[in-house]
Amino acid sequence: MPFRPAFSRCFSWDIRNTVGNIPMEWYKDYPHIGYDLDGKKIFKPIRNKDELDEFLDKMENPDYWRTIHDKMTGTDVCLSDEQVDLVHRLQQGKFGDVNFNEYEPAIDFFSNEVMIHPVTNRPADKRSFIPSLIEKEKVGKLVHAIKMGWIKPRRPKETAPQYYDLWAKEDPNAILGRHKMHIPAPKMRLPGHEESYNPPPEYLLTDEERQVWEQQDPDERKLSFLPQKYLSLRAVPAFSRFIQERFERCLDLYLCPRQRKMRVNVNPEDLIPKLPRPRDLQPFPTLQSLVYHGHSSLIRSISISPSGQWLVSGSDDCTVRFWEVCTTRCLKTMEVGGPVKSVAWNPAPSISLVAVSYGENVILVNPGLGDRLICSATDQLISSYEEPEEVKDQQVQWAVPEGKAQEQGQRLILTHPKAVKQVSWHGRGDYLACVMPDDGSSLQVVIHQVSRRRTQNPFHRNKGAVQCVSFHPSRPYFLVATQRYVRVYNLIKQELTKKLMANCKWISSMAVHPGGDNVICGSYDCRLAWFDLDLSTKPYKVLRHHKKALRGVAYHKHYPLFASGSDDGTVIVCHGMVYNDLLQNPLIVPVKVLKGHIITHDLGVLDVAFHPTQPWVFSSGADGTVRLFT
Amino acid sequence: MSQLQARFFTDNKKYVIDDVPFSIPAVSEITDLSNVINKLLEGKNGDHKHVEFDFLVQGQFLRSSLATHLETENISTEEVVEIEYVEKYTAPQPEECIMHDDWISSVEADSEWILTGSYDKTARIWSLEGKAVATVAGHTDVVKGVAWVKRDGLSSLLLTASLDQTVLLWEWSSERNKLRARHCCRGHAGSVDTISVDPTRSKFCSGSWDKMLKIWSAEMSEESNRPRKKQKTEQLGPTRTPLMTLSGHTEAVSSVLWMDTEELCSASWDHTIRLWDAETGSQKNMLTGSKVFNCISYSPLCHRLATGSTDRHVRLWDPRSKDGSLVLLSLTSHTGWVTAVRWSPSHEQQLISGSLDNLVKLWDTRSCKAPLYDLAAHEDKVLCADWTDCGLILSGGADNKLYTYRYSACLSDAGA
Repeated sequence: MPFRPAFSRCFSWDIRNTVGNIPMEWYKDYPHIGYDLDGKKIFKPIRNKDELDEFLDKMENPDYWRTIHDKMTGTDVCLSDEQVDLVHRLQQGKFGDVNFNEYEPAIDFFSNEVMIHPVTNRPADKRSFIPSLIEKEKVGKLVHAIKMGWIKPRRPKETAPQYYDLWAKEDPNAILGRHKMHIPAPKMRLPGHEESYNPPPEYLLTDEERQVWEQQDPDERKLSFLPQKYLSLRAVPAFSRFIQERFERCLDLYLCPRQRKMRVNVNPEDLIPKLPRPRDLQPFPTLQSLVYHGHSSLIRSISISPSGQWLVSGSDDCTVRFWEVCTTRCLKTMEVGGPVKSVAWNPAPSISLVAVSYGENVILVNPGLGDRLICSATDQLISSYEEPEEVKDQQVQWAVPEGKAQEQGQRLILTHPKAVKQVSWHGRGDYLACVMPDDGSSLQVVIHQVSRRRTQNPFHRNKGAVQCVSFHPSRPYFLVATQRYVRVYNLIKQELTKKLMANCKWISSMAVHPGGDNVICGSYDCRLAWFDLDLSTKPYKVLRHHKKALRGVAYHKHYPLFASGSDDGTVIVCHGMVYNDLLQNPLIVPVKVLKGHIITHDLGVLDVAFHPTQPWVFSSGADGTVRLFT
Repeated sequence: MSQLQARFFTDNKKYVIDDVPFSIPAVSEITDLSNVINKLLEGKNGDHKHVEFDFLVQGQFLRSSLATHLETENISTEEVVEIEYVEKYTAPQPEECIMHDDWISSVEADSEWILTGSYDKTARIWSLEGKAVATVAGHTDVVKGVAWVKRDGLSSLLLTASLDQTVLLWEWSSERNKLRARHCCRGHAGSVDTISVDPTRSKFCSGSWDKMLKIWSAEMSEESNRPRKKQKTEQLGPTRTPLMTLSGHTEAVSSVLWMDTEELCSASWDHTIRLWDAETGSQKNMLTGSKVFNCISYSPLCHRLATGSTDRHVRLWDPRSKDGSLVLLSLTSHTGWVTAVRWSPSHEQQLISGSLDNLVKLWDTRSCKAPLYDLAAHEDKVLCADWTDCGLILSGGADNKLYTYRYSACLSDAGA
């Protein structure tokens, strides 16, 4: 309902139209405008005025200004002079009637003046001078109620003063305390030579300085006055800025907030978290014990046999060397066709195989070390393979080497379409994952099954360049580290389980805790991030102990140790205790910085690996040596 | 404190002096004290020749000035200090340097011949003068351990253990210089690192990387039982199986020895030394250390075990102790892993140790901070050492050289 102004009801009431006080827009689409007293339709007057006519009318008609549109009848009404005058009066807030005088003289009938002739001359009633029975009854009731205690007489007004002693409840010491908190006003600077009435001449300003002083803003001036020289104190005039200066001083005292600075006295040692002393966390590697010399170029990768008796190292001098751990004796040297990027000893104790990656090839080598039975069983396992009837077209060629390579121990050669950077075995020893980093390509990670000589590409699409991969030690998970994230895939359900955010620029290496719930990542921006998979996808702890990029990280299989190797030539060993209690967070204590590698071509330690049974750590470096720290 | 009261005494009847306290300067060192004793002896005995002495205060060798020694050992200088003096041990005299083709992994010598095992997959027999006598070739991998079994006139029995998981028993006749493999002992599933022959020379024990100890018979079997045909096919002799297997170690066995005819002792990478009953094969005692044991040696003279670990200490143990396994003494002077220790067969307080820091050290247990002598001849890691009954010290290492030293405890014994 549109709102109608109230005055329209009394103003434009036209009895000719019986529709009542309604918005006339309702009849907008009808030819009539309402009904008259007889119930006949009142038709709208024919109006053919358009905008132009309206405009011309406005320009030419001298009475246009007093013409109004009557909505009820739809006609134009030209107001008379009296009506216009009435409108003006009402607009001015005057009475409508011209003849009405609102200021007529008032006649006071009931005044204080006693008239000679009273208005009435009746004698006073009797009841006006005898006591009232009704009142007596009412008073009696009140008296009875007060006697019975039903009504309490009004309490006497308290005459206690309204002000009180603000400090009455304060004990005297507190008053002293208030005085202790007294902060003295800042002292004014004492007047110097320039304020003197007879300053030394060097304090007097030269003409140029005076000009500069005058041009400066009062705020910028060094001195708020001009030093002046007088012959005697007697000649000094009154200080014209005295009042202003006092005022400014008062403003300073009043407006400048004064507060005592609360200094927190914290013992800096209390801020350091309570960590056990490294001495109590023995055993861990502390000393360089053995150096394995032999390679002529940087050693990219090392791996220890599951028994802990042998060590394999792959170097840029295109050789793979097998070492006896306890004597540093090189038992075997194998030349391959390119710089060796990665070596990995099969973790299964019943298989004697080493995966070596160089260029686009991965070769599986039977080193022939350790138990003869296991070596021959491994050879048999590989040679017993039978070609399946339907040969699938695979992206990776499996070939059996012949001649000298076979004699050297090479058993299978896998030729990939791209250069292989890393190889990683599954704990059971049948599956081998290879990484071919290539940003955005769909073929970056392949998983080989050695016993069936099958290759599968687990991912249709890889986000980012894959840096390294790892199998989970106990569950069917597969960890893929790209430059910034580590993705944990469930191989059985074939889905992404977790995505760990490493908070670093470029992940270089990754290791999974043998318990399976923790992962460490080394990155090229000097950080080592420890993830607790149960806790969060963000790092539980980030260690920034290395000065240069991390190249390798490793967990120990049994001891609560992990190590990281870096380009600054050091290996940092940390105690990383993981508790069975889910509520207790892992305890991480850096325990030892191991130095020994010589930095060559700005590269220090390239790979670290722990001995499977002893608390020993091996590191391989750009100086062509492998070092054992015990 | 410039002077202190000292009384000198000795067990050697030849050098006895009067049992009276002397006032000697506190700063005096071994040479000063030695001069004092020599002066006294000259005074007593006109034809006395100058002898260098070593001095012991409460069983510890004096290696610094008397005052500092007493201060570090916390001995009161108020009372008369009892100082024992003994004739100074002479340095071992280097004799031979025997070149090998490859690293020497093990050595054992008897009174006439030296047997060495090498990384070139052979063992070699040398005369004490360093002349190559025979090459024992038959293993397909590095020879890790060697041992003489016994000598019957001109023919000897010897053992070689190898990385190829076998132990070979050889018969060698020194007259015709003919070698024949008599038995091939198979059974280990890892490299056989150590062998030891029992005192009766009828059995031997081998320790292997497969965590097992195996006891084998060292007797020769009857040849007539063997068909002639089979002999040709088996060049290394008939296969022999172990009499007994001792299992208990959780890591590789690095060293094994017989303490007497019934008791075996083994040291392992699992940080333990275990004592076994050789008759029943049961474990009798266990000593626990904190580091991997590389080598072990037992002295029947002082009933102590000496071990070398993957740190720089030589530790002495008492194998009889039941109440906890405490280290009696650590001898610390090496800077690398100790790979070989050997007690002196004749002196109850002396032993040698070889280390990866290229040094062989001669120790007296009365001086645990400093060895008696450093034998610094090797240019690379020392891997093995031996000390024969006739006073010959041998050491071999990664510089392919076997050094021999003649050592007699005292000058006076040298002629004898």
